[in-house]
Amino acid sequence: MNVSEAYGILMGKVILMTEKVVKEKLEGLGKRMIKEIEKNEGPTFETVLRTKSNTIFDESEGCLRTGDKTETRKFLSVAQAKTFMQTVAVAAKTKKFISEDLHASIRSLFYQLKFTLGEDIDEDMFAEQSESNALIEDLEVALGIKREDLHLTTERKGTVAGPIIIKDKFGGEVNTIDGTAMGRSGWGIPSDVDNDIEFKTTADYVLVVEKDAMWQRLNEDKFWKKENCLVITPKGQASRGTRRLLRKLADKKLPIYCFMDCDAWGWYIYWTIKTGSMNLAYLGHDFAVPEARFLGVSMKDIREFEFLQKLTITAKEVDVKRAEEMLEYPWISRHADWVAELKEVLKTKKKIEQDALQGERLTFVGEYIKDKIAKKKWMS
Amino acid sequence: MAEDIFKQFKEHSVAEFFKKNRQMLGFSGKVRSMTIIVHEYVTNSLDACEEAGILPEIFVQVEELNKETKDHYRITVKDNGPGIPKSHLGKALGQMLAGTKFHRYIQQRGQQGIGAAACTMYSYITTGQKTKAITCHRGKKLTADISIDFKGNKAVVEETSEEPTEETGLLVTAEFKDVRYERSNQGVYEYLRRTALANPHCTITLMDPNNEKSVFPRSVEVNPQKPFEIKPHPLGITTHDLLEFARVNENRKVSSFLQNAFSRVSAAKVDELRTICTEVDFDKDPHELSWEDAEKIVKSFAKVKWIAPAMDSLVPIGKERIETSFRNIFNPEIIVVTERSPRVYRGGIPFMVEAGIAYGGGLVAAEKKGEVMRFANRVPLLFDNSGCVISETIKSIEWNRYNMKNFEEEPVAVLVNLLSVHVPYTSAGKQAISNEEDVADEIKLAVMEAGRTIQRHLSGKRRAHEIATKRKVISRYINQLSSDLSDLAGTKNKKDLLARLEKIVDEKYSQEDLGEEKGEVATKDSAKVDEGEGEE
Repeated sequence: MNVSEAYGILMGKVILMTEKVVKEKLEGLGKRMIKEIEKNEGPTFETVLRTKSNTIFDESEGCLRTGDKTETRKFLSVAQAKTFMQTVAVAAKTKKFISEDLHASIRSLFYQLKFTLGEDIDEDMFAEQSESNALIEDLEVALGIKREDLHLTTERKGTVAGPIIIKDKFGGEVNTIDGTAMGRSGWGIPSDVDNDIEFKTTADYVLVVEKDAMWQRLNEDKFWKKENCLVITPKGQASRGTRRLLRKLADKKLPIYCFMDCDAWGWYIYWTIKTGSMNLAYLGHDFAVPEARFLGVSMKDIREFEFLQKLTITAKEVDVKRAEEMLEYPWISRHADWVAELKEVLKTKKKIEQDALQGERLTFVGEYIKDKIAKKKWMS
Repeated sequence: MAEDIFKQFKEHSVAEFFKKNRQMLGFSGKVRSMTIIVHEYVTNSLDACEEAGILPEIFVQVEELNKETKDHYRITVKDNGPGIPKSHLGKALGQMLAGTKFHRYIQQRGQQGIGAAACTMYSYITTGQKTKAITCHRGKKLTADISIDFKGNKAVVEETSEEPTEETGLLVTAEFKDVRYERSNQGVYEYLRRTALANPHCTITLMDPNNEKSVFPRSVEVNPQKPFEIKPHPLGITTHDLLEFARVNENRKVSSFLQNAFSRVSAAKVDELRTICTEVDFDKDPHELSWEDAEKIVKSFAKVKWIAPAMDSLVPIGKERIETSFRNIFNPEIIVVTERSPRVYRGGIPFMVEAGIAYGGGLVAAEKKGEVMRFANRVPLLFDNSGCVISETIKSIEWNRYNMKNFEEEPVAVLVNLLSVHVPYTSAGKQAISNEEDVADEIKLAVMEAGRTIQRHLSGKRRAHEIATKRKVISRYINQLSSDLSDLAGTKNKKDLLARLEKIVDEKYSQEDLGEEKGEVATKDSAKVDEGEGEE
């Protein structure tokens, strides 16, 4: 079939990693450790240091990534012995998932590994899910693979509607889903959009709206039909699945426009989509969407639309603090429009939610967005 | 001090004085009185045996004569010493201050020599009975009853029989009231146990009122070296002392008096003193020394470099002997003994301190905690604990510096033996040593020195414990890791991995040095960045 040519199968770099490669990577990790043991040494594994100080902004890629500082985890260190054993257990378990072609949520992984270490040992392999979650990240860094490749799923979050065809091979079946025929609910973005799933779209651009309520508004208005665009809501902070989908859509050269609240949380959601987050900096390249643009809501809008002036809220301490922090980040401070915006926040101590745009007329939002895009009134 | 007491009662007899002031000899409290009596007899026996070059074998029997009042006993002490000649029997057992020991500069147990006669007196004033002695000396076995003429301070010896014998030795037996046998820390049993500890060359047998026999066997087959009588050392001599010695001396010149009266003073040293102390005529009659002269000489003593007092004058128990004794009696986990060099205190009186610390092992089993064992010239001091410089000094030590949090709760026994030609007892009871600064300093240094070795041992033990704990922590993960690792690598060699990992962990945590370990812990706080991801 030549669908890939017609629509372009969206493939990021990591997607090329086949299950075979992932399995080999996992086995390689085990084999290296066994080699050390056979040399009469304690087993170790090297991972990239995931600290703030080892997070850098990659100018050419336009995203955050980890630096080259590494750390060596040692089984013979009392402080690391248990974590070491746990990491190997997670690796062994995910290898099994891949072999059996089964997917597991990170919570079910936790339960699979929540067993006692022995009859005479009053200790469980894992006591809290947070322990195993952190080790999954360790493995991702150490092996340079994503958890999705390890057949680990996270909670679904994010909804899309619009001209997109999804071909989902799952549970032994292939289902084709039409994004224009999802009624009032839209299509829920799964945690893994890379493996056994294909997307085709004829949309002109992607609109990301922070809140589900706003998405429902635009969906009811058939905004995506009028504009030939995809309307996506991450429902707050974007999940890995949503971010991967945005990356794939951006790879398809679709412009990504974001419509968020004008407050700390809205800015943070936007910048995480754009440059990646510090916590997942090691996956920055695969997750960041530097092409993303910020449509609003902005402080400028308050000046422009008189009715908004009555709808502002006093900025909270967290908003002010976040604005101050953002001015310090080099990947933000190099954008004059953002500096001006943030300085205005600090000066006026005001913020505004995207819902305020419905204050005058419910359908004002659509016009606002169209106007912004047409007149290129966005921020980088 | 005893000397002062004696000056006061020129008109009274010594015996009369002590009859009224018996607590001054230690006869206060029933248990204490019993121990004091045994002590006086045993001490005399030990001194006699050692002087005659005989390895002491001492038998002590305590019989209860009144089971209801529990304060009436017969005490018998028998030794294998040379015995006492007939002519000396009265002096030895019936005359207070009979010996020549008092003003001799020699390390001896009894020292002030009121011992056995005081017991004879105590027996007489509490029961009205005479003390019976059987002495086997030079082929004759003499049996005699001894009492005291209090007014004249004279012994009354009534001979009851005399027959030939091939044995030697002395047996003394007497009845006492106002005494009590108790197996407490201050009782006869403990006294004899400690005596045996400080005198590993003797065998002591005790037959207690219940006819239970305890034997403290000898662990060393040689008698200690005999102490020598020595002259006072110039360092520490006071002006008063110098004048006292000058008064009784028979030399015609100060120069020769100094050389004869004090140790380590040679002709060359006198010449040196002449150059330092030009105002005093060293050729004049020592009897004409003025207070000022004496003061100047004493001051110049301090400016000359002297050889330390003769070690010969002091005979310590000895490092090895204390260790052997400790091992015999406590079987502790560790024994550390320190022996200090001789020093002088006050009037040039040589003394030295030896200290031993025993820790753990048998002390734990015996539930001995924070035990202080005081000795003066090998004699155990059981009473007046709080007023004694040894107890006070040990108490003042910061034991937590030696890995002992609370001295009173640790399985530790500290032995201090003060040796001196003249032990500065606080009273004629001879149970506590007065707080002479020089003595206290030496005690502290000796105990602290031993403490440091104990500390090294204990921290080594703690380290070993830490290493064992670490090994245990890691070991519990080996089984699971081996199994997951063989699954992960797809090698199916779990058993081999398990064995290898166990060996690696064992090797790593049997090493003393854990220095490498420290740096690793610090890097643990990696991954978490303060930035919520909002997912999950």
